Amino acid sequence: MAKKAKLTEQNTGFAHPISGQGDADKKGKYLAELRDSLAARLRAGDHAAAGEFVDMYNEQIFLFMRRLGHDRQVSEDLTQESFLQAWQHISQLRNGKALNGWLYRIAGNVSKLYWRKHKGREMASIEGADIDVPENSEAGCDIAGHYEQLGRLKNAVAYLPEKLRQAVVLHYMQHLTIAEAAEAAGVREGTFKSRLNRALETLRKQVL
Amino acid sequence: MNEQKLTKLLNDLADATVEPVRPGLTEDIKRQIPERLSPHKGGTDTIHIVINLRISKLAAAAVIIVTILLCAGLFGGRDWTSDGIVDGVRDSLAWLGAGRADVLAVRSKYEDLVRQGRHVVYYGDNIAPGDNSAILMQLKLPDGKYRIVFGDGSTRIVNAEELIELHSRMLLNKTR
Repeated sequence: MAKKAKLTEQNTGFAHPISGQGDADKKGKYLAELRDSLAARLRAGDHAAAGEFVDMYNEQIFLFMRRLGHDRQVSEDLTQESFLQAWQHISQLRNGKALNGWLYRIAGNVSKLYWRKHKGREMASIEGADIDVPENSEAGCDIAGHYEQLGRLKNAVAYLPEKLRQAVVLHYMQHLTIAEAAEAAGVREGTFKSRLNRALETLRKQVL
Repeated sequence: MNEQKLTKLLNDLADATVEPVRPGLTEDIKRQIPERLSPHKGGTDTIHIVINLRISKLAAAAVIIVTILLCAGLFGGRDWTSDGIVDGVRDSLAWLGAGRADVLAVRSKYEDLVRQGRHVVYYGDNIAPGDNSAILMQLKLPDGKYRIVFGDGSTRIVNAEELIELHSRMLLNKTR
């Protein structure tokens, strides 16, 4: 599946390899200006800006919910709930730099409240991660091994404690920077890094 | 090396777990955008505090109840042990609720009657709300009698003599 441009926009968050540093800088500057303008318009109560904001983030928040272990239907509901909460807490949005952290924090809280209300509920697997190993023998054992590792990693991430799973999802899968992800998790950067290290250590033991 | 490999695997997993969003979800969300995006929404502040402080609803409810009792104790001017709290709450509600609302309603009625050119007198600024012997307003009726509204909201129709007696009693109470 071709990834949408808006999803890759966040790859300047240092969890992804960057091809050209100059291009990345330009893109980062452009995105920062875009977010600043969007945040200012949202704070001013601009209805059109809210529409753009939904276009920009609804897929990301849906995937965030899926990666936190909610099934498709619940993820849709929680995505809608996250935006409803966002409209009600516009006043807490400081500036464009804080846009990601602010929205993901709301979404994280919405997810947390859901799990609290439905304690016995099992986590759903992510459809895309039910990875089929290609039958073509020429693809070789390397590809098969890679897919097998991905499958193991998917399970290992799912079984991480909630806070560690959230840290991995925010930084490595939603591609937020450490600062944004820490803001989203509601902790200091040091605490977030520590969670991330613990999560990586656990995953390394189980997957590699 | 292991860390780089793990990071790469996590990035690959992120790519592999991209799912299409239901067509129409974006529109559903957009339909829920309020007409006026207000920076301040008072009604949801409590929920936000509960979420932000990460305290349970039970604890939040306890905090709110204690705050109400404390305020009631302050307004009532009683100590908040034994029966003091109950009396304080009752007094506060009487002042904030029934008594005060009646005064405002009568005042509004008085202004209305004045505009109609009726013979009416309003004493509300000088009496204590809730006083059942104080005259809040008097209205002269076409038959020469007077409709009296007391401080506690009760009404009575009296003749001129009774009215003078009521005024005398009110004056006497004031001077005590």
